[in-house]
Amino acid sequence: MDEETRRRRPGAAPRRRRVGRPKTLESGGPSLAAILSLVRAGPLTRLDIERKSELGRAAVANRLSVLERLGLVEESELGRPQGGRAPHHVRLRANAGVVLVAHVDRMSLAVGIADLAGNLIVEHHEAADLALGPEPTLDRLTTLFYWLLDERGGKEAAWSIAVALPEAALVDANDGDTFGIATLNVLRAWRAFDFAAELSLRFGAPAFARSNTQMATLGEMKAGAGLGVEDLVCVRIDRSVSAGVVSGRRLHPGAHGLAGLVGHAPTGEAGDVPCHCGAKGCLDAVASAEAVERAALLAAADGRSRYLADVMARYGDVTANDVGHGAQLGDAFCAELLSRSGRLIGESMAPIVNLLNPAVVALAGALAHSGEILLAAFREAIYRRSHPLATRDLRIVRSQLAGSAELVGAASHAADQVFASARGWVPLGSPRREPSFLAFLAEAKTRQRRSSAAEPLPPTKPL
Amino acid sequence: MPTIGLGPHGERPFSADLLILTDAEAELARAGRFSAAIVLHTTTSDWSRQELAGIIATLGQYGATVSEIVDCGFDKDKQNRELLRLAAAATDAVISLPIGSSGVLEAHRAVGRAGKKLVLLDNAPSGLRPGLDYLAVSSADNFGLGAIAAELISPYAPYEGVVGILNYEAEFFVTNEREIALRKWMGAERPDLTLVRERFGRVEDAGAAYRRLLAGNDDLDCCFIAWDMPALRVLAAIREGARSLPLVTVDLGNDVVGELRNEGPLKGVAAQRPYDQGAAAAKALLLGVIGRTPPAWLSATGLKVTRDNFREAYEAVWHAPAPP
Repeated sequence: MDEETRRRRPGAAPRRRRVGRPKTLESGGPSLAAILSLVRAGPLTRLDIERKSELGRAAVANRLSVLERLGLVEESELGRPQGGRAPHHVRLRANAGVVLVAHVDRMSLAVGIADLAGNLIVEHHEAADLALGPEPTLDRLTTLFYWLLDERGGKEAAWSIAVALPEAALVDANDGDTFGIATLNVLRAWRAFDFAAELSLRFGAPAFARSNTQMATLGEMKAGAGLGVEDLVCVRIDRSVSAGVVSGRRLHPGAHGLAGLVGHAPTGEAGDVPCHCGAKGCLDAVASAEAVERAALLAAADGRSRYLADVMARYGDVTANDVGHGAQLGDAFCAELLSRSGRLIGESMAPIVNLLNPAVVALAGALAHSGEILLAAFREAIYRRSHPLATRDLRIVRSQLAGSAELVGAASHAADQVFASARGWVPLGSPRREPSFLAFLAEAKTRQRRSSAAEPLPPTKPL
Repeated sequence: MPTIGLGPHGERPFSADLLILTDAEAELARAGRFSAAIVLHTTTSDWSRQELAGIIATLGQYGATVSEIVDCGFDKDKQNRELLRLAAAATDAVISLPIGSSGVLEAHRAVGRAGKKLVLLDNAPSGLRPGLDYLAVSSADNFGLGAIAAELISPYAPYEGVVGILNYEAEFFVTNEREIALRKWMGAERPDLTLVRERFGRVEDAGAAYRRLLAGNDDLDCCFIAWDMPALRVLAAIREGARSLPLVTVDLGNDVVGELRNEGPLKGVAAQRPYDQGAAAAKALLLGVIGRTPPAWLSATGLKVTRDNFREAYEAVWHAPAPP
């Protein structure tokens, strides 16, 4: 970073410009961001950059030298020679900073660290209980993030944070009561809690939150079942059933970021247990992992499944995961339970296949990875209930990233968000110094002081 | 103690002890006369010998053979070369222990892409996809081992004391899990303690890393070392004059048993069950080559070992009588 950048302080009154040509750092934000965006898509020669950016040779050389000085690009391998010496490629310096990612679910949390290209480097998953509320979860994520950053440049190295949260945790406290799913008791405390803003305050980096399903869908697009396709539906079968939709390579988040709550589709099954929304027979109430678990507990207790009864006797509990294991080991009850779940979800998703005509439908979530039975039943129901033209070339597969899909998607999302605002921060060298973000932080801090909550500090002792 | 750790992609654990082949599956496996190559980080440790014994005995039980065993000597480049060679070799499957994460990702992926079944031990490089690039990971519950180690070392740290952690490189899933669990346990049960860490890149450097840890923290009270081979280097450093502290490690090798029996600095061990983990890896591989999908995360619970119970623990880990 040059002297000009270093001297500039956020919030300081703009100084009167000196006489003469404006400096690149003062006026070149858009072209610097444009070149950064080009090399982010893949290494390019200087000639390629001139062609794609429509800038002259001198301007490109100037911008690249600024970007190199800021540590944002570097020369890589040699390109193909075109009549002379082989030209060097220029690429994004993916380790100029890191991206922190997290995935919070009802029974577990996961953290990871990724480079600026959105490639996950390290990940860790552990059991957790969201019923404890958002603050303990935030504290645990903070501890794990500091641990990940410890040997990678500390807090300053974090350029962006993305977190995948359960859908109900993203519903605004004021709007939540009008929407059935937000009545989940466990997640009630999460609704008034701005998780992303709290992370920004703790790490001084822009933070973004999206639903678990949408992050998983982004992950599949980046590195899994959606690689190379334009239209994808990702169905996540977990405590509830939800879907992420990508159309023309763009994720459809919905007006409130809650698109895809298909778990409340009626199935026609009676079902004794009401759904969270109060109705009976919703997909969530009869086919989700929670519903499967409920049926498994009953079968373990009344002896309809010998395998589940054994698990119950040994561990004192039965989970949906055990149903998958039981089916793999040949237990007829477990196999039938998964088959029913796959059939009901497939029948509910068939109209969506007709509506969107995706190239790929990917099944994600713990239950989707329980073996072939659920997938086969889902596939059969989709083919039976969808229009033949919509299923002619349709591929129905399991998620290829399994439990890492949300982290991979979060890494991709965080990197995308950072570079989407590059125009504002490139001349300053890091999105941590972007003026509008600093203004947001200042406002959030003021708000926090007003609500008399003490500002959280990094843990000095192991938590 | 129940398994408490999740898999490398957050998978819920399937107990390594519960994985079986049905009679029909066993018959299919025997008829196939499959072969597998084994690629390990090292073959010289007791852990490796036990893991190999479990794999070979189980494969043999179902008529499969081991075509070769590769010792990578903790060298990522060698592992990459060997895996790429095996991807083109005449073997049905490979069992491999990845040395690190991103550095060995592509070579492991190449094995699956060559149509061979891949079972991993301990660790799955980030980016490798279960069910697609590999069948399963068979491992100890390393998160549980870290918690056991924390319980073992806690009595040797006075109030507001300092506990050292001597760990391997930063991208290694298994040792990361142990450290995270140890820190989590300490945070919950002993928040008065300060934890300090030093890393080593090669087992031979563990003694030097211990000396660095001592030099930087003259108030150190005790130390956790990520597994037994570096712990033995630390014990050698202590014999050569480095300050002696109570130590706790993971893996119940023969030399470690000797150290426990001698009542030296080594106070406790969180023991894996490598024979059983190897047997589970072999069963997962056999299920894979006959077209079944084994659970992606096979996990064996660890054992808490002190000098009071090391004989019983040895017999459970080694499937053999404890040395006199």
